[in-house]
Order: sequence, then structure tokens, then C-alpha cells
Amino acid sequence: MNMNFKFNPQGTKATALCLLICALGVAWLANRDFAAMRTLDALIPASGFEEHLLSEWFAPLRDTLLDTPVYVQSGEEPGGSVLVLGGTHPNEPAGYMTAILMVERAQVSRGKLYVIPFANRAGFAHTQPQEASPESMSFTLPDGSTRVFRYGSRDILHTLTWPNPDIYIHKASGQRLSGNEARNLNRAYPGVADGTPTERLAWAIMEFLRKEKIDLAFDLHEASPEYPVVDAIVAHERSIELAAAAAMELKGRGIEIRLEPSPKNFRGLSHREWGDASDTLPILMEVANPSQGRLRGRTDETLVLEGRDKAYMKAAALGRLFVPWDESGKPLAMRTARHLTAVVTFLSMMEFFVDESKAIEIDGLPEYQQLVDDGIGKWLHQN
Amino acid sequence: MTWEWFWPEGFYALAMIACFAFGAFALKLPIAVAMSASAVVGALLAGFGIPVRHLVEGMFGYLDTILIIACAMIFMKTVQDIGLTEAVASWGIRKFRRQPLLLSIGVMFLIMLPGMLTGSSTAACLTTGALVAPILLKLGVPKAQTGSAIALGAIYGMIAPPVDIPVMIIGGGIDMPYVGFALPLLFATVPLALLVALIFIYPWLRRRGAVDEAGLEAELARMERAPLTFRLFLPFAALIVLMGGEQLFPELFPSLGMPLQFLIASACAIFSGQKWNPLDSAVRAMNDALPVLGILMGVGMFVQVMTLNGVRGFVSVSALDIPPWLLYVSIGVSIPLFGAISSFGAASVLGVPFILALLDRDQILVGTALALIAGLGDLMPPTALAGIFAAQVVEEKNYFRILVKCVVPAIVTVLWGVAIIAWSGKLAPFLTR
Repeated sequence: MNMNFKFNPQGTKATALCLLICALGVAWLANRDFAAMRTLDALIPASGFEEHLLSEWFAPLRDTLLDTPVYVQSGEEPGGSVLVLGGTHPNEPAGYMTAILMVERAQVSRGKLYVIPFANRAGFAHTQPQEASPESMSFTLPDGSTRVFRYGSRDILHTLTWPNPDIYIHKASGQRLSGNEARNLNRAYPGVADGTPTERLAWAIMEFLRKEKIDLAFDLHEASPEYPVVDAIVAHERSIELAAAAAMELKGRGIEIRLEPSPKNFRGLSHREWGDASDTLPILMEVANPSQGRLRGRTDETLVLEGRDKAYMKAAALGRLFVPWDESGKPLAMRTARHLTAVVTFLSMMEFFVDESKAIEIDGLPEYQQLVDDGIGKWLHQN
Repeated sequence: MTWEWFWPEGFYALAMIACFAFGAFALKLPIAVAMSASAVVGALLAGFGIPVRHLVEGMFGYLDTILIIACAMIFMKTVQDIGLTEAVASWGIRKFRRQPLLLSIGVMFLIMLPGMLTGSSTAACLTTGALVAPILLKLGVPKAQTGSAIALGAIYGMIAPPVDIPVMIIGGGIDMPYVGFALPLLFATVPLALLVALIFIYPWLRRRGAVDEAGLEAELARMERAPLTFRLFLPFAALIVLMGGEQLFPELFPSLGMPLQFLIASACAIFSGQKWNPLDSAVRAMNDALPVLGILMGVGMFVQVMTLNGVRGFVSVSALDIPPWLLYVSIGVSIPLFGAISSFGAASVLGVPFILALLDRDQILVGTALALIAGLGDLMPPTALAGIFAAQVVEEKNYFRILVKCVVPAIVTVLWGVAIIAWSGKLAPFLTR
């Protein structure tokens, strides 16, 4: 048998043409997948919600991929106003699934609730190169049907922001960060009205906070389990007292959460700039998401939903994580339940720690254990 | 290592490496094709079929790098074709050949400069690296030493301030702003750059007797076919203005991106007063760049699939699974090795976990040292961007000859980086505030 086989094709015009046709075929197949991601997931709002667009508060966003739905529900009784912002980073699904559950379930009896579930809408239109993220995740409803939601990228869509600068300079402070942070909504606040797409989106959200005179605003995130600020509340100095009370209450209910003051020298983040550039009380919250961590193993939809990972088990045994970890992992339902319970806990504190006239009451949302036990699908509406 | 930890991710890793080695060495496939094939095998073994979306997305991770390399290569060919490279080399030789120490240090600083401004070792190799290469070669510095000095200088330039992308990536992982790094980064890079200049350049420049004076004079006269005027220097001047302006005066200069900056600078050759065929320069540039661009695309697919099937996590956590006394060894070995994929990737995937493992040390100094070690990834094949482009500018066909010469300085670099971490407590009062 001849073992001296060598692959040595001769380059001709015909081979070049074949390769070109193959490349176009691959490009067509890939483009079909990526183009489909530009369609935003449909929500089924609870009764009482009005649907608006962020461009109503900042017109230059109209008819762009930056414009995003804003859901508004007013209670019968006057009270405070609260914003729940999900999807700042579309690879942190507990943040936007919390916002989605609020849109589909919340019934406001006092005050006014605003929800922006897909803050960085353009980030839902792609996934991050070399992160191998799944494109979507599906939830089974009680009747056996499924609802599918996108899993996106931390960044604003690259085609909107390309080319990226080598260094990102935060215009309000002159702070310098790696160029990839130029696509990060949560490094762009307070934004620039005529700036880059990221800066314009940040500006639009600031305009929304100012014009609607939002009393309390949440920016819901997730973080890698090996990141020091995880399972945590980050609060501006004006909201730290309220946050401390909420953290105590959550601990009393068995939900361990740490409280971090917003650093004054790290600029561009919601917990700093929302508080500095508007009258709102800003709160950023993080839960531990293994599907975005650097140490994760096999990356697929199961990891996003179930949050169990062999690599994180080992990393925990090595003492490399900032959250407790066991074989049950960090399921998305549990991460979402943490966020939802924390939001509700904050709202219950408003009348005591802010002002009686700022009280907000919302019903219809699942309790922590209900969501953990039943899963997210049970609390979504059927299409 | 237990079997439970090894299976199946460890097996996938070995299978992907074996597939790459078989394709590249037994079948003699181009490196790019062998990498792509091993990515497909990794996906198939893990039950993902042939994931077209992931393979394409992986390649896009290097889109910016690919464009920068292609355009930088066009710029390099342009400045060679209009005679700027040879004219500058001739001027440098006449002016400084009697001052070997000054010339050695000055050349090293010139090599570092574009890397300092852009954060890219490729930019350094293909701009000032290409300018100084003929000077050194004509003055008797061997190809391997010249190439090594350029490759290492380009890497130290990439890490030196004001722009250091690996340290920004590491800092971004722990929310540490890029503030207060200038002095630590100079401390990390300048002594090493001087050392390389003194080892690889100075000894050859001192040997005056080794140069054939008559032959050299004839050669210098030939190299001066294009007079060194400001017009000839225009492409380089345009590049300095565009790149330097963006970094030093970001409020005034638009961020065009490095590819466009290189192309605009190349286009300025029209006004150089020399005959220049842009299409010919661009075609030859692409011919030279294509193998490297292909490798980057193959590596992009490889990284995406190793993330998809869990090999990345297996490698990262295995690197952390060491006794504390071996942590420094792990940093010194695993980060440069991971740089075979990308130095920026090594900074992100391993640099961040390592800085988190060293939170009790001075974070600025630890980040500086990890970035320095991550920079060595640009010497690690198959990507080895600094090694490959340094070989190209000295016209050395086998870039491994350059890499072999870089081994000892690379080890010294790792030791220097580890020393900075180990003594960060003592150094911090002098270098950080």
C-alpha cells in the first residue's frame, strides 16, 4: 500500500471558481442565520401596559436598530415611578428575562412602572465572535408550547459602530478604556446627543430618566462567577441607604446579596452616571451567569438555562469563584428569581426610605420559590 | 488530572491538535486549512455537526486584525517601492554608523514607536521595522538578529505606553480603568528593549572591520536613487499625523481605524515625486499577506469551536489548577502558549483569571506584568505575527530562524514579568500611586 499520499492540488481558474462558489454558499448560509437575529422577540404584555418606543424621548433614534420598546403601566393610585432596564448586555439573560416577566405579568396598583426589556436592542441582533454563544433559548409553557428568546452580545451591533477606536475615551470624564468598550452601553453614560451609536443610545436613556422624572431605576445585569462584583447590588451614594435596607431584607429571606458602593472614579456606568446626571436613584444588580464566564466549559443553550458546568465546579473547588457553587449550578430561573425578588423588595421599601408619596405597588409577579420551582415558562403567556 | 476532568474535553483538545498536526505535517496542508479542518473535527466530535454559523463567526473575531495586516502590508510595499525605505536606510548608515551605541538604542526606539502609538506589533514590524531592517542588514547585522530585534522591539512597543491593549483587556475584566499604567509599563518594557538592542544590534555595529567599505559605498549610492526629501517622506508623515493625532488629540482627530489610516498614508505616495504603481504594490502586498490572513481565519474557527465544545474552559481551569508555588510557572508557560492563538486572546482568557487569583497584589503592576507576558504570544506559532512580519521585512523565508533567536530574550521577558508580580509590593511605592 502506498503511504506517501500528499494532498497537493493544483491551483487553476476552475479550482478558484469552485472555491469562490463554496465561499459564497457558506456566506449565504451564515447570513441567513445572522439576518434572522435582527427581528426582535415579540412580547405579550399584561393588561394595562401601553407600548411606546424610546425614540419618543429622543427622536434621532427613530427607524434605527437602536430604537427599542418601552412598556408603561400606571396604577390607580398615584405614587412613585420606577424603571426596570433589561438587556443592557444581551448575553446576560437573567436581566432581560426579569424585565420580560414584568411586562407579561405585572399589575400596578400604585405608582407608575416603566420597563425597557431590550435596552441594547442592537446587541440582540448578533452574537460575540469567538464566544460561541447560542443564538436563542426556549422555554416550555404549561400547555407544551414553547417561547423562544434571543441570546445576544454584550456589544452594540458591530456593523453600527465599526470601525472601533483603539482606545475608547469616555467623553464626559476623559477616562480611557480598551477600544471594545466603545460598544458597551454601560460605559457610555451619560451619553452624547450627537455621538457614536452607543453614546446616542445612552443619551436617549438619560433623556428618558430626566423627562419622566423617574424616582428609582434598575439596570439588571449578570456577571461571570469569577468576577468580584457578583450576586451584588451596586448603588450610587444617593441610593445606598435604600439599597442597604433592601439587602438586609433579602438576606432575611435567605437571599445572600452583597452591597457595593458605586466607585466615583470609574465612569460611564449606569450606577454612577444615572445618579450624577438625573434625579433618579440608580441601582445596578448582578447575578452569577456561567454562560458568560471565561472559565466555562461546553457553551450551549443548556448551559444558559441550567447553569451547570463542570469547569465552574472545578474552579469553585480551587477557590477561584466569588459565589458559592454546587452541583445544582445557577439555573436561569433562579437567577431571574433573584433579580425579580430584589426589584420587588426595593419597591416595598420606597415609602419608608424615600418618601411616602413615592410608594409603588405591583402585583401578579411570581415569588422567588415559585419561579425557581416552576421555571420561567410557566409565567410566560402563550403566543 | 482525573479521568472525570479529562473526559471528554481533554480528548477533544487532543483530537483537535492531532488533526491539525496530521493536516499540517503529514498531508502538508496550508496551516490555515489544517486549522479549519481541526475546528470542524472538534465540532463533529462534540456533536455539533458542521456548525457553519460558528465557523464564520469565529473568523470574524479577527476581521479587524486581518484588515490592519492587509493595509499595513500595502503601506510597507508602497514605502519600499517609492524608495523611501532605502533612502532612509542610506541616510541612517551615513549619519550614525560611527556611533554604534546611539544607533542601536535609537533603532530600538524607532521600532517600538508605532507599537507604542497603536498597540499593534504588526504595525511596528511593517512600518519602522521595515525602515530600519535594511540599515541594520547593510551594517552587517545578520538577518536572524535583525529580525529578532524587530520582532521583540515591536512586542515591547505594543506593551509600552501610551497604548497597551492587552493591559486594557485585563483591566476591563476587573473594572480597572487604564489609569496610572505609564510608569509601570515603561519599567516593564524599556530595560528589556535596551537589553535586546545591546545583545542583537550593538555587537555587530561595533565590528567596523567586518564591513566592506567600497562595496558599502556603492550600495549606498544605489540606495539613494530617490533623494530623501519631505515629499518622499510624505506617506510616513501622513501616517504619523493620523495615528499620533488620534491618540494624542482625540478631540480633534476622527477615529478612522488603522486600516484606513494605512491606506490614506499609502495614497500619499502619489505626491512623493517617484514613479509608483499602486495596483502592483497592492497585489504584491496581498500575495505576501494572504498566508497569514488565512492562518488568522483558521485560528478564529479553532477558537470558536474550542469555546463551543468546552476545550477553552478545560485549558483555562487546568492552568489555574496548580499549587500556589507553581502559579508563577503557570503564568509564565500558559499565557505565552495560549498566545499561539492570539496575544489579546491570552490576555482575556488567562490574563483575567490570573489577575483575579492575585487580587492581594498591586493590581496595576500585576496587570502590567501579565500584559508583558501576554505580548510574547505574538512570537508563538502558528500565528506568531511579530515573528512572521519581522521575517518578511528582513526577507528571511523561514520565520522559525527568527523565533529561535527570540527564545532567550522571551524567557528573560517572562522572568522579568514574574519578578514584577513577585515584588509588586516593593515596587508599588515607586511605580504606582
